[in-house]
Amino acid sequence: MRMFLLTAVFALSACTQKATEVPPRDGTLKPVDMSNHPPIIPLPDPELQGGHVGRAPRRITVAQLKASIQTTTGRQWSQIDSLAASLGKADFALVNAESTEPNLVFAKFLEDGAREVCTAAAAADLTTPLAENRVLSPEVPATITDFSKIDAPTAKKNLVYLSTRMWGQPLSGAELETWSASFLTMAARAQVANKKKEAWGAICIAMMTDPRFITY
Amino acid sequence: MKKDQLQMERRNFLKASAAFGGASLLGTLPFRAFAQAANLAPADRCFVFLYFSGGWDVLLSLDPRDPNVFTPDRVSETRILPGYSLLSNDSSFPTQVVTPTERAGAGPSNIKFGPAIGRLADHYDQMCVIRGINMTTVAHEVGFRYFLTGKEPNGSAARGSSTATEIVGQMKPTNPVPSIAYGIESYNDRYPGSANALRVSRANDLILTLSPSPTQLDSEIEKQLVNLRGQSVTCEADAYNTRGLVGQYRDAQNQMATVLGNSLNKSFTYADVATDPPALNAERAAVRAAYGLTNPINYDSAAGRAAMVGTALKKGISQCVSMNLVGGLDTHFGTQLTHATNQRAGWNAIADLVSDLRGSAHPKGGNFMDHTTIMVFSEFSRTPLINGTGGRDHHISSSALLMGAGIKHNMVFGKAGDINMAPGLVNRSTGLPDPKGMSILPEDIIATVLASAKLDYAITRTEPLKAILT
Repeated sequence: MRMFLLTAVFALSACTQKATEVPPRDGTLKPVDMSNHPPIIPLPDPELQGGHVGRAPRRITVAQLKASIQTTTGRQWSQIDSLAASLGKADFALVNAESTEPNLVFAKFLEDGAREVCTAAAAADLTTPLAENRVLSPEVPATITDFSKIDAPTAKKNLVYLSTRMWGQPLSGAELETWSASFLTMAARAQVANKKKEAWGAICIAMMTDPRFITY
Repeated sequence: MKKDQLQMERRNFLKASAAFGGASLLGTLPFRAFAQAANLAPADRCFVFLYFSGGWDVLLSLDPRDPNVFTPDRVSETRILPGYSLLSNDSSFPTQVVTPTERAGAGPSNIKFGPAIGRLADHYDQMCVIRGINMTTVAHEVGFRYFLTGKEPNGSAARGSSTATEIVGQMKPTNPVPSIAYGIESYNDRYPGSANALRVSRANDLILTLSPSPTQLDSEIEKQLVNLRGQSVTCEADAYNTRGLVGQYRDAQNQMATVLGNSLNKSFTYADVATDPPALNAERAAVRAAYGLTNPINYDSAAGRAAMVGTALKKGISQCVSMNLVGGLDTHFGTQLTHATNQRAGWNAIADLVSDLRGSAHPKGGNFMDHTTIMVFSEFSRTPLINGTGGRDHHISSSALLMGAGIKHNMVFGKAGDINMAPGLVNRSTGLPDPKGMSILPEDIIATVLASAKLDYAITRTEPLKAILT
């Protein structure tokens, strides 16, 4: 308690003194002098802006998609260059603006690409002995070869990892429960059908074709 | 109208959601049920833009001259040599101007054609031929880009949007692939990407778009995948949808499900497949018969391409189809017979397409031709005189053909001069030659096509040819 009071008094005295009077010590940040700052204009009321402020969300470009696939799965979709024009890439000869519309053609080809890349990554994981070297299931102990035997906490841990990797935000709450339940169902089916790669592969496909993967 | 469409979309979405829900409960039939829950209806108004690449000889088709009047003896005076006698090596070509046989109930034809018009002459009662168009260029790229956009290019660089893009941008159809550009350029300078054409260079590209993914998962896992996509998203994820982006993507995914669920790729396969249902193979046989396709089917022939246009419109896949229908027309060298043969292949393919559309009932009433406007064009025509190597060079005057909805039928508008087939001045009210009249330019044709569907044609900066409009 005494320590807290001392700290508070010290902090209070620091705030009331002029910055020039106390030279900053090494490793400390000098407070910004706000006394002459121009008035800050608050953000517009979202209710008056159709429920939003700031710029509109955007679909990623073809170049961003290509980089995202490489970054998240460590491999590239073999058709992305040949389909780039259909996905919206401008050639600056006939089309001089990149189309970032999430239209039917984009959805169709992204689905194709996600399936190719994700099943390949999942297949490669099955032959990777060290769990930490796996792309889609690094949180699953390497001793588990039957994914239907993964317990729910482990499945959730890996789903949180994958969603963070794919979307930059972790799955949580009820949505995590839903994804976990779906994964366990798919894992059981994959084991029965002897298609082990489709367990985490399907989750990867679902995440890569999710709006959160293609928007920013 | 928009409200109605929104309600329809919402209804479809609810039907689809119900299919999802039912699938989740029953654990069976989710994907196909979902796909079939959504409608796939032909557009109320369809457009077809058919391009004859290389520059056509209008003497052989849309703007003939009587060889008994324009004789070789008068060439120095008329500067026109029809050259129909040079086709005599092939007895299937007439050597005189073609007057179509009267069609029952349509009255006699007001249009005469050249010997390469082929079977299309039978559909004179659906046509409006525009003659004496001043293309203002004899450069290939400039000419066809001018006709594609209705704006004279900057140098050879196109300006503005393709007419199909303009139409889709204004009409916002609900077809899964609103516009297809097959072997032809497509431009979009001011509309959202949803108005972009799906550009394909071969039939196989189109089939690839409509085909299921080559990587298929176990069927039960596919169901789980569909169910996962049907889940509501979190508030954080929903924030991305504040301006409809996620909703648009979800709609596209639903459209994809519709397209794949209806196996539309199979609609574009015209050869029988033993594992497919007999009804589907019967449908294919009908298409083969209608377009004269024989095994092995050449999908990238004029007939194969015309069949794809018909399929895209009738199945409700597209509202606009732009297509490079036929080539091999840039005949500076060689014989008149080569050009005539290539050109006739295109006209016969259009004849089969029109027969197919006329014979197919549209869900909104009438037949498909009652709901479809077809524009046929080339970048320019060929010189009315034959050059020293037996071919014809580039000529500035051309013709175009409009058919179908919104257009007056069995009429000719405009006229190329009887000396050197010069682009003339015409009275825009009557289409007759008038020294005080105006040139007919490509933008006039484009404005007319847009106006035929009551669309905004301001972008063409001209008035439509109102004498042509119904």
